[in-house]
Amino acid sequence: MNKPTSAIVGGAAGVSVLSVALLLIEVETRSRIGLFAVVARFVGVPGNQALGFLLFVAAGTIAWPLVFVALEAYLPLGPDPAIRGVGFALPLWVAFVLLGRGELSGAILIVFGVLTLFAHVAYGFTLGAVYGRLSGETEARRPMPAYPDEE
Amino acid sequence: MFPALQATLAESIAAILVVGALLFGAGWLSRTIRSDGRGGARGRAGSRANGRNRAGDASRSDGGTRASRLTRLRARLPYDPIRWLTTVNHRDVGTLYFAFALVAALWGGTDALMIRTELLTPGTTVWDEQTYNALFTTHGLTMLFFFVTPAFTGVANYFLPLFVGADEMAFPRVNALAFWLLPPSLLLVRAGLVTEVFGKAVAALGPRLEVLFLLEPPTTGWTMYAPLSIMQANPQVDLMLLGLHLSGVATILGAVNIIVTVLVDRDPEVTWATIDILSWTLFTTAGIILFAFPVLGSALVMLVMDRNFGTTFFLVEGGGPILWQHLFWFFGHPEVYILVLPAFGLVSLILPKFAGRTLFGFKFIVYSTLAIGVLSFGVWAHHMFATGIDPRLQSSFMAVTLAIAVPSAVKTFNWITTLWNGKIRLTAPMILCIGGVGLFVVGGVTGVVLASIPVDRVLHGTYYVVGHFHFIVMGVIAMMVFAASYYWFPLLTRRMYDRRMARVQAYTLIIGVFVTFFPMLLLGMGGHPRRWAEYASALGVHPTWPVLHWTATGGAAIIGISVTLWLFNVAQSARVGTPVTTGDPWDLKETGQFSREWAWFEERLAERRRRTTSGTEED
Ligand code: HEM
Ligand SMILES: [Cu+2]
Repeated sequence: MNKPTSAIVGGAAGVSVLSVALLLIEVETRSRIGLFAVVARFVGVPGNQALGFLLFVAAGTIAWPLVFVALEAYLPLGPDPAIRGVGFALPLWVAFVLLGRGELSGAILIVFGVLTLFAHVAYGFTLGAVYGRLSGETEARRPMPAYPDEE
Repeated sequence: MFPALQATLAESIAAILVVGALLFGAGWLSRTIRSDGRGGARGRAGSRANGRNRAGDASRSDGGTRASRLTRLRARLPYDPIRWLTTVNHRDVGTLYFAFALVAALWGGTDALMIRTELLTPGTTVWDEQTYNALFTTHGLTMLFFFVTPAFTGVANYFLPLFVGADEMAFPRVNALAFWLLPPSLLLVRAGLVTEVFGKAVAALGPRLEVLFLLEPPTTGWTMYAPLSIMQANPQVDLMLLGLHLSGVATILGAVNIIVTVLVDRDPEVTWATIDILSWTLFTTAGIILFAFPVLGSALVMLVMDRNFGTTFFLVEGGGPILWQHLFWFFGHPEVYILVLPAFGLVSLILPKFAGRTLFGFKFIVYSTLAIGVLSFGVWAHHMFATGIDPRLQSSFMAVTLAIAVPSAVKTFNWITTLWNGKIRLTAPMILCIGGVGLFVVGGVTGVVLASIPVDRVLHGTYYVVGHFHFIVMGVIAMMVFAASYYWFPLLTRRMYDRRMARVQAYTLIIGVFVTFFPMLLLGMGGHPRRWAEYASALGVHPTWPVLHWTATGGAAIIGISVTLWLFNVAQSARVGTPVTTGDPWDLKETGQFSREWAWFEERLAERRRRTTSGTEED
């Protein structure tokens, strides 16, 4: 599969993981965090949760993966695309926490930070791993040899 | 006219439509798969003619190699979903158990970290009391029934046949069934959360469906003491009880399979005298399950009836709340040995491998395992010293409880002696074994302290108990799950994990467990009550309490980091780790510790080698 398409498939997988993780966080915290509002604030349409979520999915599936492909060669922590994906997701998480935090304060901010960090790392890793597998990047770089110790 | 009724009507119709669509989809899928299994003949021009011909395979001109579109699609997926849904192979089922246990562990672990966050501040500032109660309830249930039990059942499924030289488990289909009962039971126990996830997802995009928000997470505690568990109106409690019952059925099915496999499917070479230590413990554990879980099942049914059908088993006019405690703990104490015996078995298996010596006192370890199996049923009332049951009863239970400490001490002694003069290699699994034994000593000693009636009266409702049992559940049980995952990683994935990262992980885990749970012992001795969301208003708040809680939470964060390291290492190494090319990745042959599962692995590698002549092999 070519690189952009693999990245988009990877992005779709990553966004699914990320959305499920965020939903679980939301429910588990009995909506104390209000993640949908966070998402809406993050993508710049505060108050409109449905639109916010759609924009969020679109960005995670198409925009970020394409940026990822464009930047791939320059990203640190290579050559494994999955690790690069994690590095790629970290700035996204910083933006997410800064822009989305809203009125949260105190101890709950720690939970918010840590759990969303996990969700973003999972996004980056999935994006990179799926992309690497589909585009052949991973296999090409670390082949599984057929028993080299054979004499 | 009836707006409320209309709303529920609309929701019911919506629900029926959704269920209908799902059923329709499932039917379509299964039909496609079935026709797919007949070689995808439906798509071809000539297929109409032999459509009625049941032996369609014979009529295929291509000899059955041409795959349908669905088959080709499946082949391109990294994992074949149909295979994983329908497998009855013991190793596949074992792998499914591992995956399930992992999900549950992460879920329950999140609960634990959230509990600790609440306790950062003396007031209820993070979650409310209701949420806090729900958190420790679901944390306990998830960890005990859906993390540890499945993890060890997975070990049994994967490795028991290899150890006793059987081709398969005795009843492969029962085995698969036993596994597939678990996901629905987990969903039932935590149903409120799941329906809420759907509710929130729908609400984010449009309407808020109130039915999906009906179920509140249960707040009974994992012991579900009557009368509280009878009085709570929350319908989710009923689902939880049914879910637990279902998980009990699954566990019993698994246990029957283990017992029959060991009894009848052994290789003639493997006699009772030569069965290895892990199989002994798994076998004993299965025996305990067979006697303990039916009691839980019955008690749960009685509780459901008390809640819904007006029976009075656990009400004062019936048997009374104490009856619940007797039944529950008659199951509950053996349950803690169901969890810990396989962990002991893993210590006894893995520790000698990296000490370069055979297990010291093999026979005594087996005897002590069997002794624990029997005695574990005779100590249940030590959980009830604080309820004011008859003093004569109490003292006899105290005696038996002290007696059951002996076989555990025998094991500990034998492990330490195995290390004596050994050629110790500090690999990650070995570090975890040694750390686990050390932490188990703390857990065991604090347990003996609690066995003394007057001490228990004072400490029963405090954090001391929480500290004590976590030194065991986290300190040795979870620790050995990690150790086993490293020890068998090459066999499971044909790749090696990152050893340095694993060693760092092992050390951080040991430190984290100690830092988390030691402060709880101190809190308990200071009289800090357990299961309290706030301690600002507790009687006699001690100035050290916040500091101790911060320490514990810091330790929990260390555990969290350590688990993340493990997760990363395992995910990454399974993807791109260094391939393992020998059947003896631990150099066990050198010290005469090469065991049957590695022999099997070696054989399999050799077979692959014969098949693959050159080039890179698709994994
Ligand atoms: C990260 C590791 C863990 C942490 C930080 C942790 C923390 C806690 C805390 C603070 C409580 C007490 C809540 C209270 O009394 O107010 C608790 C309860 C409990 N934990 Fe853990 N835990 C951990 C791992 C485990 C594991 C691995 C298991 C079992 C295999 C387990 C089983 C339980 C049980 C059975 C309870 C009692 C629940 C109840 O009172 O109903 N925990 N845990
Ligand atoms: Cu007990």
